[in-house]
Amino acid sequence: MGSSNKKKKEKKKDFQKAKLKVGKAKAKAANFTDTSFKSKFITVNQQAISAEGVDAAEQFKQNLSLAITAKSDNQRRDALAFLTNQISATPPNNPVGTSAILTKLLPLISDTSATVRTRLLALFRALPPSEVQPHVEKILMYARAGMTHMSNIIRTDALNVMEWLLEVAGDEVVSCPGGWLKTLNSFSSMLGWNPSVGSALSSQGWTSASKTTLGAGSKKGPEAQCRQIQVLTQFLAVGFKPETSEPYNPRAYWDNIYRLPGTPNPFAHLNLFGTPRDEDSEMYPDRPSRQRVFDAKWKGAIAAGMDGARKEGGTVGRAAAGLSKVLDLGK
Amino acid sequence: MPKRKVAALEKVEADLVNLQYKIRRDPKSYAQEFYDQWLAYDAQRQIFVSSPATASSDDVKKFHDLVDLVAHVADLYPDLTASYPDHLKELLNRHHATLDKELREKIVGSLTLLRRKDVIDSTSLLTTLFPILISTPSKTLRSLLYTKIISDLRESNSKSTNHRLNRTIQTVLHNLVTSDRTSTKGMWATRITRELWRRQIWTDAKPCDVMKEACLSDNEKVVVGGVRFFLGGDKAREEMEDDSSDDEVDMKKLKHQSGINKKTKKRQKALGKAVEKVKKQERKKNAPHPLNFSALHLIHDPQGFAEKLFQKHLQNTKNRFSLENKLQILQLVTRLVGLHKLTIISLYSWFARYLTPKQPSVTSFLASLAQGTHNLVPPDAIEPLIVKIANEFVSEAAASEVAAAGINAIREVAIRQPLCMNETLLQDLVLYQRSKDKGVVMAAKGLQSLYREVYPELLQKKYRGKEATMGLKSGETKQWKFGEEEVGGIEGIELLEKYKEEQKEKKMAERVGEDGEPKDDDEEDDGFHSDEWEIGSSDSDDSSTGWINVSDSEDDEPAPKRTKTDPEAPELVDEDKENAEAEANRISKLATTTILTPADLLKLQELRREANIDKAMGNTSKRKKELIARHIDEGVTADDIELPAQLGKKSTKEERVALAKDGKPGREEHKSTQAIRKSKKEAEGKSTTNKEKSRKKNFLMTIGKARAKNKRSLVDTKKALKAHIARSKSGGRRANGT
Repeated sequence: MGSSNKKKKEKKKDFQKAKLKVGKAKAKAANFTDTSFKSKFITVNQQAISAEGVDAAEQFKQNLSLAITAKSDNQRRDALAFLTNQISATPPNNPVGTSAILTKLLPLISDTSATVRTRLLALFRALPPSEVQPHVEKILMYARAGMTHMSNIIRTDALNVMEWLLEVAGDEVVSCPGGWLKTLNSFSSMLGWNPSVGSALSSQGWTSASKTTLGAGSKKGPEAQCRQIQVLTQFLAVGFKPETSEPYNPRAYWDNIYRLPGTPNPFAHLNLFGTPRDEDSEMYPDRPSRQRVFDAKWKGAIAAGMDGARKEGGTVGRAAAGLSKVLDLGK
Repeated sequence: MPKRKVAALEKVEADLVNLQYKIRRDPKSYAQEFYDQWLAYDAQRQIFVSSPATASSDDVKKFHDLVDLVAHVADLYPDLTASYPDHLKELLNRHHATLDKELREKIVGSLTLLRRKDVIDSTSLLTTLFPILISTPSKTLRSLLYTKIISDLRESNSKSTNHRLNRTIQTVLHNLVTSDRTSTKGMWATRITRELWRRQIWTDAKPCDVMKEACLSDNEKVVVGGVRFFLGGDKAREEMEDDSSDDEVDMKKLKHQSGINKKTKKRQKALGKAVEKVKKQERKKNAPHPLNFSALHLIHDPQGFAEKLFQKHLQNTKNRFSLENKLQILQLVTRLVGLHKLTIISLYSWFARYLTPKQPSVTSFLASLAQGTHNLVPPDAIEPLIVKIANEFVSEAAASEVAAAGINAIREVAIRQPLCMNETLLQDLVLYQRSKDKGVVMAAKGLQSLYREVYPELLQKKYRGKEATMGLKSGETKQWKFGEEEVGGIEGIELLEKYKEEQKEKKMAERVGEDGEPKDDDEEDDGFHSDEWEIGSSDSDDSSTGWINVSDSEDDEPAPKRTKTDPEAPELVDEDKENAEAEANRISKLATTTILTPADLLKLQELRREANIDKAMGNTSKRKKELIARHIDEGVTADDIELPAQLGKKSTKEERVALAKDGKPGREEHKSTQAIRKSKKEAEGKSTTNKEKSRKKNFLMTIGKARAKNKRSLVDTKKALKAHIARSKSGGRRANGT
């Protein structure tokens, strides 16, 4: 009863004429829009994604920015795929240059999405090696950040990046500032072969802290460890590669004095403008120095870890055997 | 296939908070994990340092989180994280201008956290933060750093005063102010010093020295900061003290609540805290009051300071400070002059320019003039000013407010230096009490009553009044000459002496009554009465004679009369010898011949209080002295000068309405008083009365009872009514009355 009355009233209301009164403003219409305000700028929530009518360079740049800023994983992945296609095409279409691509995309090494990371690696592999070499120090920083990431999967993928880097620019990797010792630090923390933690803790009990590393926790433990040992082997192999003596070049002396150097930052070892480096971030440009510092700091720890791994047998043992071969090479 | 569930630890998002919790629970077992994160931090730091300006937001976020983690557990791994504080300091020093806002705050916060965990010391923290505070263009960072610096200084001074740190910081502030006098950077020195002064963390002369240097800066803001400190810093300190004692905890209420409310750990903790706070306050109350000198008293070389201040900011015609600020400086200078009795002769001639009614805020100038006068200022220096004030302000043509202000200003000056007045001018001014305006009348009467006390000869005979005339005749009223000081002593010492004599006589009388013969007092009194040194232990009413008389024959002679030893004041000697002798006799010998015990001092205080009460009851002869005492403590303000002009003024309607509204509940909308009270009660969280509850009760709940009541028999109704009456007589159901 009550409700029907109410409904009747409501119905009636719809058809009532608004009364006009003298001295009062006219009532606002139901669909009235307030336009009195002024706005300095308007944010557009949706963006046009149609690629028609945009030239190739523009499209490339758009995709490059999408690859970093897009919120959705799929969009990032697609943008990366597009970039890879463009770079690996013949002739390669790269309007911004390798350096710009690297600076933009390197943070993606520790991206949360796995597909994005694999796509990224594919893109890296498509880059021309000669253009990657000058940027090794920077790439290495991000690779190390990835290798020490909390998440297991990201660490494994960062190892892939490391592997690619060793293939493309192995010499630069081991000889750039921080490239040798800091990378070894990261490797050892991944594997749990760590001399410095024990001393830092100065634990004096009769038990030592369990040797669980983040890597050993997952189900894929042995596989992951095997992979880590493999990449470490690769890294050490590059580091201990016997140096080939360059053939005598009669003009080398004069070139050195009068010609512009062919490599970027040829006096990096002097560290003229940077902050003073400590032992870890120092550069070890030749094999003897690397060998010396390795023997002093890491040899014991790595040998101990390697023995443990060898006793485990299986794939890990095999990988450790490979590592021992490289270590023998270093002697 | 169903979607695979991701375990908490397997999540890709780095769960650093969880890790931090674990590390703090068990640092040994998680050393490896921490080491991993330390490496990650290092890697991120390098990425960041290589290009701090262009770092992606993702990198910044990661770095931010890692910095946070390491800061929280750094104290657990001191070896590993030895370089961490230096990293943060370097980052902040080099990149504070370009750093991301949140990251910057995190770094500052981490540094202070390290300080709290005692990883770094206060000095290194403050010397890092302070240069950034001065140089950064970001307002938010400045305010953050300021609060951090203040709180750290407070913290490190909380248990005991950290003299070393204070000295370091004070030196830094001093250098900051003195190194570049034109820059605004000194502002920070003044702000920090003022805040710490207000909180009573710094109470010695060094911060005053910093402020003194700030006053002598070239920058207007810095100068004003320093001047304001001296004028208002002590008041702010007192107010702060009052505030802190205000927030008292109602222990009774809390205990009652804890008995009723649900018992949770949180509530228990709150109660414990409240108890501790109350105990602390008690301790504070019982602790001896810290004797803090006012900043004005702690200034080293006030004469030099006042002179420099005056020459630099006021006398210098090239100075372009605003009038308001100049007035503040003038106030400080004159305050110093009045308080320390300094002599800056050029100050008074400088005043002449500003003493016209058309000068903006002239009353402040007048107040400053009064403040800057004391009895050692040569009357020749002030007399022209007095004449000028009289000519400019006090005339029939001038507005009544102007005249009142002028006369009042003259009176304020004359209180401090009565010799500045000449006879004709005074007589002229006193005649203004026949004016029609009440303010002018009051001011003129004030001037007259002042001169009745200090220099009645200047007044015409008919204006002198009874007391002054009698005083003149008997020679009691003494005319002070320039430079002459009242011979001082302990206030009320004569009262004590009198009291002691009375006691002695009483005792003698008693003894005579007991033994029949008077005993020699001195023999008995030679013993050491140790109980007299303890205030509470002795009854000060009966045993005050027990005083070792340290006097020997030389001391027993009357104190040499100062007036006679001064050969350069022949007038004084000639004036009337009797008078001088009477004066000399008045000065009590008690203080020079004996040592006063605490018990004596207590008695002295008591006697003084009694005497004051007498004075308040009607004897107002010392009114002038009180006035002067008040002014020396507080200084003269423009309001004091303007006060008589306000007399007899009819207030405007707004003022009357405001006065009527004062103290009544606020009434934003039209509402009954009842409703306002009710809402106020509700806001305070108080409960309602039973009556109110019954009024609010749902109608349907009461209807049954009402019906049943209607159906009762007459006998039942009668019973109920009788019971009701009986109950109300005995005080309700709970028998509250009995």
